[in-house]
Amino acid sequence: MSTALLELTHVSKAYGRSGLFARRRVPAVRDVSFRIDAEPASIFTIIGESGSGKSTLARMILNITQPTSGTVRFRRRDLSTLRGHGARLDFMREVQPIFQNPFEAFNPLKRLDHYLFSTALRLAAAAGREDVERRADEALRSVGLSLAEVKGRFPHELSGGQLQRAAIARALLSKPSLIVADEPVSMVDASLRMSIVNVFRHLRDDLSISIIYITHDLATAYTISDRLIIMQRGEVVEGGEARAVLDHPRHPYSQRLKAAVLAPQTDADPSQPPCTTEPVR
Amino acid sequence: MLAVLRDLVRHNPEFRIGLVLVLLVLTLAALSFASPYPELDVYVVPPDVPPSSAYWFGTTSRGQDVFWQVCTAIRHTLAFGLTVALVSRLISLGVGLLAGYKGGFVDRLLMSINDTFIVIPLFPVLVLFYFVLRDNMSWLALALIMSLLGWSYDARLIRSVAMSVKTREFTQTSVFSGMTTREILLREHLPYVLPIVFSTTLANMNWSIGLEVTLSVLGFTDINTPSIGGMIYWANQHTALVAGIWWWIAFPVIVVVMAFIGLFLLSVSLNEFIDPRSRLARMGQATS
Amino acid sequence: MSVDTEPAATPALSVERLKAYYRTSHFGVSREVRAVDDVSFAIGKDEIYGLAGESSSGKTTLIKAIAGLVRPPLRIEDGSIRFAFLPGRRGLHLASPSEVQRVRWRHLSYIMQGSMSVLNPLRRVRDMFVDFAFDHMGLGRGAFARVVEAHLARVRLEPSVLKAYPHELSGGMRQRVTIALATICKPDFIIADEPTTALDVIVQKDVLDMLREIQREISSSMLFVTHDMGVHAHLTDRLGIMYAGRLVEDGRTVDIFARPRHPYTRHLVASLPRIGEDRIRQGLEGNPPNLADPPSGCRFHPRCALAMDICRREVPPMTQQNGHRVACFATGATGEQPQ
Repeated sequence: MSTALLELTHVSKAYGRSGLFARRRVPAVRDVSFRIDAEPASIFTIIGESGSGKSTLARMILNITQPTSGTVRFRRRDLSTLRGHGARLDFMREVQPIFQNPFEAFNPLKRLDHYLFSTALRLAAAAGREDVERRADEALRSVGLSLAEVKGRFPHELSGGQLQRAAIARALLSKPSLIVADEPVSMVDASLRMSIVNVFRHLRDDLSISIIYITHDLATAYTISDRLIIMQRGEVVEGGEARAVLDHPRHPYSQRLKAAVLAPQTDADPSQPPCTTEPVR
Repeated sequence: MLAVLRDLVRHNPEFRIGLVLVLLVLTLAALSFASPYPELDVYVVPPDVPPSSAYWFGTTSRGQDVFWQVCTAIRHTLAFGLTVALVSRLISLGVGLLAGYKGGFVDRLLMSINDTFIVIPLFPVLVLFYFVLRDNMSWLALALIMSLLGWSYDARLIRSVAMSVKTREFTQTSVFSGMTTREILLREHLPYVLPIVFSTTLANMNWSIGLEVTLSVLGFTDINTPSIGGMIYWANQHTALVAGIWWWIAFPVIVVVMAFIGLFLLSVSLNEFIDPRSRLARMGQATS
Repeated sequence: MSVDTEPAATPALSVERLKAYYRTSHFGVSREVRAVDDVSFAIGKDEIYGLAGESSSGKTTLIKAIAGLVRPPLRIEDGSIRFAFLPGRRGLHLASPSEVQRVRWRHLSYIMQGSMSVLNPLRRVRDMFVDFAFDHMGLGRGAFARVVEAHLARVRLEPSVLKAYPHELSGGMRQRVTIALATICKPDFIIADEPTTALDVIVQKDVLDMLREIQREISSSMLFVTHDMGVHAHLTDRLGIMYAGRLVEDGRTVDIFARPRHPYTRHLVASLPRIGEDRIRQGLEGNPPNLADPPSGCRFHPRCALAMDICRREVPPMTQQNGHRVACFATGATGEQPQ
């Protein structure tokens, strides 16, 4: 019986509307449960559109916000019991985020090395300038960059693809066991997307890091996921082994998602009539 | 640093003029150390002499050289304004950044204190302090009291910038890079807050100088330390304008107005320069 | 350099040798960004022409130039933009304000990315139809109201939408309102700039299908700009690929996806992941170009596997074969492997 790396049990999150009429609660996430094993490393994908609750779920896994009911356990430790700077640092050594907008992931007024070095010092216990630089270079090389390319640079001097890779490199410095990537490629140029997605594959296969990959794009999900869940309005509507679900979706919402994927039509007549029967939302 | 100054001087006319004015005023202030007369002495020169080659700004009815008096006065006045501005900036930065970042209970507590201070009516309170302290009212005491009254408005401004910066993703990146709250506030958020701090510093100086001059003219401060307001006070006591001794009032006023305008122009041009949006534009980011 | 469309037809839009640059100057640092550098293409009547390109391709600037939104620091340095409905002018930015007023919405309309940039948040939907279209249509109030309701039905919106404010509608509904506004006067030409990028996947497909339906019905031409190749594949008749301010390939969409000729296009087409396909795809090496200091010669050469010596020195000309144009020394003349 493999130990659980991450376990969510009946997790729900509702936002209360503050003010005089505080009774309206907006549920963002409703009763979500799943589990990711520690071994072997895997890529767990959460698919959903806007309003599905996927980002809220990510924030709860990262301990940025807390569930209103249910528990999130990392390595059997309930996240709501983490108190104190030391415990939080320990958690951050193991779990790291990648954000959607590569241009906002770093402060535009500061150089990138600043974050790399801080992570290396605080979370990776690097000793002294040389060690810090060595580790930063190592992490950058594993994502296809190098310290020479990044050193002394401001975010606007690099492309979206490079920035996102630098963000991944930073996340790798403490040798985490779990990376939570929230829409990591949606703001990256299409031609650079696959190289980032391939980096995730490399992290899983060669560095044994599990990844929670959050996206609305089924096509990239198909390429690298091991297991996935599909969320709609805060609830999980379907889940299971990735290829199986995407090849033969059973829930009507999953089927609509799949039908909406746009692919090149090599010989089809582009003026076929649209095929929706649902009422306008 | 020097390159920045050079750029500003070359391309920004407001900065040039502001710099010239402020340098002039600072020169006068510095010259005061070379004053041949001790600052508080009276009847050291013939009184009521109009501006001439011997006495450039004329002399007062109390037998003081207006030129050297103005130099000393502007030095004290500037020092006063600077002290108030610096101390109140420190308080408003501390309160604003902390409240904006922490949110929740800390924010509510700090803002309650803040709002209490905003509502305090300044002028009556200052006059009250004068009547309580009387002869113990040194300019240092006045400076401290004014700092404690002058931080609250800007703290709210700083807090709103801090709150908006907190929601940007790089704040989370900093957290996950292991930075402490203090580091995040000082190194990540401060640059965004700095334009406000800077412009409010110079505005604050103008405010405090203005208030001090007002109080001095009315005699509500330490009239033993020469200041611009003090000079005008004494001039009024000796009914200088009626007696035709216009130079006693004119020159202090001209010099303090120069200081005001110079500080204002500097703050406006420097503010535009360090605003993150214009910094980014200069670094070449924005053609969008 | 004119393009080979149907022989005797005047194209709805003809862009020739267009150059549009930004010149900026901050604190003594001046930059010239060559966002559109010698672009030529034509769009026929009743045709959807897609413009594909990623960040720093120049497509946003190209749209601005075509729409006549040319203000400093943007300047049109050279070239012409000719609409069929405005024959005398070499560009909308050169037209007089009264001409622009006459043309806008009746002959040329826009569908922009943020619906909220077109829709006035303080006006109800019905009032916006009045603002935009009433003067152009020359109908009485009653007849106008009936036409508007019929048009809304075509984009599958209920008449009750007319009473609503924009923020009360969902993103998909707002985009449909924008489409309805842009098409009610049956314009000759529609410019669409990333209209579905902010929408959810399911809504996006709906909106695209609707757009095509309407376009076919009113027989207008459309210039559809997006970085999303899947959208181009689904919607457009012909497609142009932009890279670093230049047009590198252009032709029928089915041809471009079946037989892409320019190395960059090949990469774009090949890197589209598809459900059901298992092979590992590669991303493109290198970084997007810096338009303030672009590479010499062919701007793609630093990232191109087929780069030759001549690619560094000279700009490849557009060569043409069966309506499929490409600007590449390696694949241009014959469409085959490099020598």
